[in-house]
Amino acid sequence: MTPLNRSRRWFLRDCGVGLGAIAATQMMADPSMAKSTADPLAVRAPHFPAKVKNVIFLFMAGAPSHLELFDYKPQLAKFDGTLPPAELLEGYRAAFIDPNSKLLGPKFKFARHGQCGAEISEILPHTAKIADDLTIVKSMTTDAFNHAPAQIMMNTGSQLFGKPSLGSWTLYGLGSESKDLPGFVVFSSGSKGPSGGNSNWGSGFLPTVYSGVQLRSVGDPVLYLSNPPGVDSRAQRDALDAITQLNEQHLSVTGDPEIATRINSFEMAYRMQASAPELMDIRSETQKTLDLYGADPDKPSFAKNCLLARRLVERGVRFVQLFHEAWDQHGNLVGGLKTNCRDTDQACAALVQDLKRRGMLDETLVIWGGEFGRTPMVQGGGNDGRDHHPNAFTMWMAGGGMRPGATLGESDDFGFNVTRDRVHVRDLHATILNQLGFDHTRLSVKFQGLDQRLTGVEPARVVREILA
Amino acid sequence: MIRRFAALAVWLAAFGPALAETDSESIDFASQVRPILSDACFACHGPDEESRAADLRLDDPESAAAVIESGDASSSELYARLVESDPELRMPPPDSGKQLDASQIAILKRWIDQGAEFETHWAFVAPSRPEIPPFEQSAWVKNPIDAFVARELDSEGLSPSPAAGHRTLIRRLALDLTGLPPEPAFVTAWIKRLQNDGEAAYQDLVGVLLQSSHYGEHWARMWLDAARYADSDGYEKDKPRQAWFYRDWVVDSFNHDRPYDDFLVRQIAGDLLPGATQSDHVATGFLRNSMVNEEGGADPEQFRMEAMFDRMDAIGKSILGLTIQCAQCHTHKYDPIEQHEYYGMFAFLNNTHDAIIPVYTDSEQNRRDHVLQQVAREERLIKAAIPDWRERMHGWAGEVSGRSQPDWTPIELSFLDRTLGGSKFLPQGDRSYLCQSYAPTNFKPQGTGTYHGNRLTGLQLELLTHPNLPRSGPGRSVDGTWALSELTAEVALSDSPDQATRMKFSRALADRSPPVAELRPRYGNKKNSKRVTGGIDFAIDGDETTAWTNEVDTPQSNISQTAWFEFESPIEIPEGQHAIVTVHLAQRHGGWNSDDNQTFNIGRFRVSLTGDAIPEFDPLPSAVDAIVRRPPAQWSPDQEATVFSHWRTTVPEAEPHNEAIDQAWKSHPRGTTQLTLARREDPRTTSLLARGDFLSPVEPVTPHVPAFLHALENDDAPPRLQFARWLASEESPTTARSIVNRIWQGYFGVGLVETSDDLGTQSAPPSHPELMDYLAVELIENGWSLKHLHRLIVSSATYRQSSRLTPELAERDPYNRLLARGARFRVPAETVRDITLAASGLLNRSVGGPSVYPPAPEFLFKPPVSYGPKVWEVAEDAQRYRRALYTFRFRSVPYPMLENFDAVPGNLSCVRRSLSNTPMQALTSLNEPMFLECAIALAAKTIRETPETGDGARIRFAFQRCVGRDPSADERGVLTDYLQSQRTRLENQSLSADEILSSGALLEVGDLDADELAAWSLVCRVLLNLDETITRE
Repeated sequence: MTPLNRSRRWFLRDCGVGLGAIAATQMMADPSMAKSTADPLAVRAPHFPAKVKNVIFLFMAGAPSHLELFDYKPQLAKFDGTLPPAELLEGYRAAFIDPNSKLLGPKFKFARHGQCGAEISEILPHTAKIADDLTIVKSMTTDAFNHAPAQIMMNTGSQLFGKPSLGSWTLYGLGSESKDLPGFVVFSSGSKGPSGGNSNWGSGFLPTVYSGVQLRSVGDPVLYLSNPPGVDSRAQRDALDAITQLNEQHLSVTGDPEIATRINSFEMAYRMQASAPELMDIRSETQKTLDLYGADPDKPSFAKNCLLARRLVERGVRFVQLFHEAWDQHGNLVGGLKTNCRDTDQACAALVQDLKRRGMLDETLVIWGGEFGRTPMVQGGGNDGRDHHPNAFTMWMAGGGMRPGATLGESDDFGFNVTRDRVHVRDLHATILNQLGFDHTRLSVKFQGLDQRLTGVEPARVVREILA
Repeated sequence: MIRRFAALAVWLAAFGPALAETDSESIDFASQVRPILSDACFACHGPDEESRAADLRLDDPESAAAVIESGDASSSELYARLVESDPELRMPPPDSGKQLDASQIAILKRWIDQGAEFETHWAFVAPSRPEIPPFEQSAWVKNPIDAFVARELDSEGLSPSPAAGHRTLIRRLALDLTGLPPEPAFVTAWIKRLQNDGEAAYQDLVGVLLQSSHYGEHWARMWLDAARYADSDGYEKDKPRQAWFYRDWVVDSFNHDRPYDDFLVRQIAGDLLPGATQSDHVATGFLRNSMVNEEGGADPEQFRMEAMFDRMDAIGKSILGLTIQCAQCHTHKYDPIEQHEYYGMFAFLNNTHDAIIPVYTDSEQNRRDHVLQQVAREERLIKAAIPDWRERMHGWAGEVSGRSQPDWTPIELSFLDRTLGGSKFLPQGDRSYLCQSYAPTNFKPQGTGTYHGNRLTGLQLELLTHPNLPRSGPGRSVDGTWALSELTAEVALSDSPDQATRMKFSRALADRSPPVAELRPRYGNKKNSKRVTGGIDFAIDGDETTAWTNEVDTPQSNISQTAWFEFESPIEIPEGQHAIVTVHLAQRHGGWNSDDNQTFNIGRFRVSLTGDAIPEFDPLPSAVDAIVRRPPAQWSPDQEATVFSHWRTTVPEAEPHNEAIDQAWKSHPRGTTQLTLARREDPRTTSLLARGDFLSPVEPVTPHVPAFLHALENDDAPPRLQFARWLASEESPTTARSIVNRIWQGYFGVGLVETSDDLGTQSAPPSHPELMDYLAVELIENGWSLKHLHRLIVSSATYRQSSRLTPELAERDPYNRLLARGARFRVPAETVRDITLAASGLLNRSVGGPSVYPPAPEFLFKPPVSYGPKVWEVAEDAQRYRRALYTFRFRSVPYPMLENFDAVPGNLSCVRRSLSNTPMQALTSLNEPMFLECAIALAAKTIRETPETGDGARIRFAFQRCVGRDPSADERGVLTDYLQSQRTRLENQSLSADEILSSGALLEVGDLDADELAAWSLVCRVLLNLDETITRE
């Protein structure tokens, strides 16, 4: 073995301490964590045995109407067209409407489904079929009622930009099990991009290696994944070999382990160039599976993204988040909801079913929901719209150690306020972290003199009632 | 080891004499004890009264005396609680999540045994000049920095590394001082001079680089991160904004070595300085870099407060180096900042308007001056031609002010929410409404009010300026202009409110009616119907495709205006009833995309009603009207000039001059806008907010500063200016230290205090506290000259050390906190791009100007990636090759190449970037189009400029351009083999030169052999991807 090779092996094996790793280890609140790992994405053990390894967050951006989908209110139908009780509106701020607007009854029929008897809207027929796999929380509440701050709240625990996202915290806590794909992957579908922009999956004050990486389901899945024009795979390999040799030579001169990290980064990039297209090619799925999701391999869609989410999780990707920004029904409530349910209902249900039949649902937590709910009061002259509403809304979860078939919480007769088992966004976060094996008070990072954590300083609780 | 600096105020605990421990066992409060107390105890036993437990403060010696028996840990309650076995009694309590290990408890025990001496946190005492340690290795020491470093190294038994070679140092200096790699010829020339003239040449080299305008560009980036600079609003709409004048002001300030204290004062309160210039106003863009949320339904006051919090955070991080934002919701848990003190500082900043002012480049300013001179000259000529102009004007004023005018009653309106489209109409207290938040491009707001009187004959609409509108308005377009497509009204009587009559207007009069004009492309609505703007008749012609506008393409657009509308048949209001009047202001002349700056709406307006006869004459411009109502004797010269400028338009003899003046205005430059602060005449009440919630004010707070910091000098200056001077004071314990630390961080990768955003009690202890104070005092005593500081640092032997990492150092000091070697780190994102451009020879070195659009994937700027469609017209000219500093920064869609290399989006103040090393970076440098274009350009340059045709010479040429040195024999070997193998593949056509070169379609390389150029392009691509190329060694 030449001295050069020896030094390379030594560095790669014993000294793979890149700057990212240094930054990460320096920030680790738990010193034992810092010593046990060099690679910032190395797999790490959580605080206690985890229930789930992976999370798929189906983010219904724009805020779906809980009143038309999951939280049926016969009283709202009865009082349709009347003004809401004055005491309800005390101190209430609405985004667009005068809060003292008439009540609007639910626009769709509901029925009970499954053995659990969950009430689900007629426009979610596929979700209704998996009612017994769902854990429905009808008592969600949040602090913000504008889209961007509320999305940032749901994804980072704070209305202020610059905090790490849920996926980043997950990756920071657990590391990545995938060596040739990013550990935190984001897709975007729907009519717009998410209001909160890419701060929704940013790493905030955590090292940037924990940021979500956006994938596209058509074209180049990852930005700059394809070789440049004219560079075939052999030319790419040749270039990489030359780069690596030159970097190794320089490593032997300077002794900086950062160069070893860069050599590794280039190798992983190369592997990603092969693995990402393979991942994205859903033609390898059976027709039955494609039909289950309703995914067309040639077209970008939420359905295709759901199928890809399963494939990513299969490949060890820790956190997958699908943004579908389409749910802001200030007007066209009926038409918009029908369209959105047509676009998402089947695929959401298929994802849960598919994970289940593959035995993956136990280790995967699927979360469905938006940034807030909608007002029971009408918006617009056509009796066909609802404004933003933070006080009460519905989310569901499946798998991942949740109690299947359970429904938690209630809102009042108008779906306006939570009346029982309130679950704040922070409580949801504490619960998700709990399932990943973390005590949310201890998963922290020292930044600006404080032990920063996803759930912040306000009280937050693990919602044990919904855990299996 | 004792670390006690001369500057430190030492409090002897009140209880008994301290043991005079000076041996190496002695515990140091600042570095050993406080970090433990602060982290584990202060949350409940610290400054915050609200969360304080057992009425015990461990940050205060007097309070702590209750649980500390000085000199005897075993009889101290504090110690007993630490070693208590009962979890109910043990401290810290288990549910705090804090735990002390045996060594930490031992430190606290020894500290109490040694006398429990408290010290004020080092950063809260103003720095004073420390004694420079006597240096033994005098041959190594170049300046006092080295003496401080050498002392630490000595005590650790380490020696400094040898100096880096000239070649390395030249590249290091160029990258550190200008962010650009040196040209090979520059390297060669300076190696020779360094060899011949030694230190003198080194100093010259530093001087040359500090004089370069690229110095300001490079170091501006550091400040712009802290100033959260971006070119868009952030949040959902994330509309483009104009802030590049501020960016250029920062660059310019660094290049001219504006004293740092002055640099701060102007950014906080430049607008309040006597004789404030355009630049002084631009400087206040610092505070205005906050994000703006104009999504539908957003409450402007809520997001103004968010912006205020952001401004406080930025001041804390970038100027004070303190985490003051912690005290937004409660008194700081660790540092002695009380919540009322946070709002005390807040109060200094609260009385501002968020202005958007027109600004002009130097050449535009010249043109503007020329226009104003022309106008003045023509007006002088009029006066010369009409010797009795003043008398005639006074006569005219008397006449027009004596005309019978209707008595207008302003109407309070309530708006139908669904017609506002999520925008907010804020009452201004004078029955005018300011339109804020979301700005629809096509809407028809409806407002209803009541009128008490016995008849109704007409309606007045005033369009009013306001400091919060672009260029003061009165419109909301980026030019402050508006277009009123149609005004309609209905009137009902109070006894029959459902029987509204649609009013017909017989005529409308306005103080200005521009000629008919087609819409600007900005307002295109992607429909075929033609829309035009013009005079007042368009507001009542029943046609919403025609609009009355104030847009006249000169600064004269931005004045308040008045229009009168006469009802065809008056409404008689019976006794005991009142009229219910509903007004609709159709505004349908905006563009198709309300997520972009395409609104053409009214920004502020007031509706009034009358029962009097509507005059036959046009209303006067409101500014003129207000003056002529007063006797001429009371007019100020400015007011007289205002009246004259209108009066002359009524005088036939002045006609040729008036025409000349109109012509002159047409050549007035458009200029740009800049977000700035403006003083608010009507002061706001600042309140302490419970939990930082703007809806929960607790009590009013007057402007004041935290008691633990230096005192504010009260004088007659406006409060915000006093505060600015306080921040920039040499008495400030943290201001100079904070910037010195961040500049050090720029050179060594990590600051002397690692937590450069926090010098407070929770900060990491400084590696070289006295060195930090030395540098801070040097900065202050040298007129706050940052260039002095830069020169001092780069002149030190510490800076010049080789960055080679020996196994011994890797083991002893992996993070280089002792500075026994030079720093080696990957350059910042912008420098990665700049090195690539510079190596290729494509770099466009022009300084300043609007932000530019280098290549980026189109889909990023379209839904569903971007919330709304954004404009990103890729530059295909030289703008494509500008430094990365000038790349347009959308907050919600950061430029991907820069984002992948850890650039920050500017959402909040950042003084310490993450430094990662990731596969995404590898994919970017391997495959991103600009890297390829640069590789091809470098290949072409290599072939053209290497006189010898041998491959070896060319490899050396290209290699030098990337890393600044010659390749070793081994490196040449690798590159030669690679070149040959690629040539072979090109020759046997398994690679296509045309395809490879397609990435350089804009380059002029047609004269070169395609296969050869392609082969060399692949070689250059390898070179641009080397770790060393993007590393500062």
